[in-house]
Amino acid sequence: MIRWMAFAWAVAGIAAPLAILGAWSFSGTWFYPALLPRSWTFESWRALLSGGSLAHALLVSVAMATVTGVVGCVVAIPVGRLIARSTGWRRHVGVAAAFLPVATPPIALGAGLQYSFIVLGLAGSTVGVICAHLVPAVGYLSLYFFAVFTAFDTRVEEEARSLGAAPTQVWLRVTLPIIRRQLAAAIAFGFLLSWGQFALTLLIGGGVVHTLSLDVFAYLRAGQSRYAATAALLLIVPPMLVLAASRPGALRAEAP
Amino acid sequence: MRVADLVAAFGEQPGLDRVSFDVAQGERFVVVGASGAGKTTLLRAVAGLAPVRGGRIDVAGRDVTALPPERRDVVYLHQTPLLFPHLSVFENVAFPLRVRRTRAAEVIKLAREALAAVRLEDLADRAPRTLSGGQRHRVALARAIVARPAVLLLDEPLSSLDPTLRDEVREAILALQRTYRPALVLVTHDFDEAGLIADRVAVLVDRKIVQTAPPWELFVRPATLAVARLLGVPNEVHGVVTAEGVFTSALGCIALDGSIPQGAALAVFRPDAVHTTDTGTAVRVAEVRHRAQRTTAVVALVGSQAGVPALEIPADAHAPPRVGDVVRIGLDGTRVSIFPREAP
Repeated sequence: MIRWMAFAWAVAGIAAPLAILGAWSFSGTWFYPALLPRSWTFESWRALLSGGSLAHALLVSVAMATVTGVVGCVVAIPVGRLIARSTGWRRHVGVAAAFLPVATPPIALGAGLQYSFIVLGLAGSTVGVICAHLVPAVGYLSLYFFAVFTAFDTRVEEEARSLGAAPTQVWLRVTLPIIRRQLAAAIAFGFLLSWGQFALTLLIGGGVVHTLSLDVFAYLRAGQSRYAATAALLLIVPPMLVLAASRPGALRAEAP
Repeated sequence: MRVADLVAAFGEQPGLDRVSFDVAQGERFVVVGASGAGKTTLLRAVAGLAPVRGGRIDVAGRDVTALPPERRDVVYLHQTPLLFPHLSVFENVAFPLRVRRTRAAEVIKLAREALAAVRLEDLADRAPRTLSGGQRHRVALARAIVARPAVLLLDEPLSSLDPTLRDEVREAILALQRTYRPALVLVTHDFDEAGLIADRVAVLVDRKIVQTAPPWELFVRPATLAVARLLGVPNEVHGVVTAEGVFTSALGCIALDGSIPQGAALAVFRPDAVHTTDTGTAVRVAEVRHRAQRTTAVVALVGSQAGVPALEIPADAHAPPRVGDVVRIGLDGTRVSIFPREAP
């Protein structure tokens, strides 16, 4: 029974919307109440492959999300580790500070950041949008690495030091390899946090920076359902890949 | 290695109070103490993993007190073997050589030698998670010794092991120590382990070393009542030291060398200080205790005698006495330690 319910949920929740999006992206003409399009076309996919604005938006989104994932981890690892190693009120303040940008709605965060980014000359630029994406991403990833390093047995690092490894060698030869799976998961999470951002991109990018999620919205408003569906399908691919690649117990470090 | 007036803290708690000792190259030095006495703090301070608030640590004639752990020529092993899970057994053992940028050919030669020394050369390619507990300990030991440290610090390496594994790991420690000859400092709460491993034993009581001696001497001549009690010496008899320098108690008189002042005193002795004799004091057997290695009887003096609690005396495992039997015992004064009553 439970299997059938799970199957029904998978069909209704995942397969059906994907099928509808797929049908839209290839539809030539499709009007209510027809169940299927009357004609089919590859127009939006050809536009994507020929390097039009959709392709450009895809590249910008991939680049920004990758940078957000990597830079977010570079910043969040020491922050999460510091919080995990602290005790008492410092730990509470650290967790609260990391949680703040995660808990704040992106539209409020964007409104708050917009003025300072205009002053700094970052508004309307790709760098500015990446910086804005990094704010919630670093908060989220700091909490993630806080959990990772709380579970991490630091005695293994002590042992490495005692065996003759300098701090940098301990980091590169011991700590990073042990947390490599969690690091990969964190980069993927950071990627997805940027990938799905709409409000921050719109407010800080000011319509100059085009990403896939902005394009979906723009195509929908313009009534270009075929292009909106194609962009939406592209938007779904990375989360599906991450979901497929993610393994249970991603937070669990290898035991020494 | 020489440690002089070492003061170290354990978190917010005071850890060590002016601890001094030295260990020669190739010597096996065991520090024994109860839980919380400061044993682990001592090792961590020497290894550079715990802050030192005073004193000095010299290794191979070099002051290492302010040096980071990796530059001390000292290796510290935790109680449980902490192998690097992402490296094979061989790469674990090679780790100290790789971080020292030793030539590749030399790394292979030295790591293979170290693995052979712990009889694990056949498991070189295995992952740590596939090893048994004893094998993990042996890999950790090989890894510790491969770079030839001047000092090897072992923190209760046998305490979490079952008896069979304990023998296996102890033999590995002794074999490596004999081959590579580092100054070995091992801490434990187990005097039997200390006796099996140590050339000299130091007793840590309340953050201070109160006695350092070869095991046999420590076991028969505890320097203080606290050491005797830590050793688990079971027999304590109250008495008096007279003006003539003689300790008198319900078990008879023992002539002293004059080092114990006149007044109330306490005689402390192991069961083997007691023997049965037809002319001795009459005692009644209250309990017979059978252990794997020895049998003893708990006896009480016949009649009420103040200051003489139950005594534990040797018994013949093949013909043990029965509860209620009366036997006569004598005390060998040369095997008795006497302390002033007020002594800690």
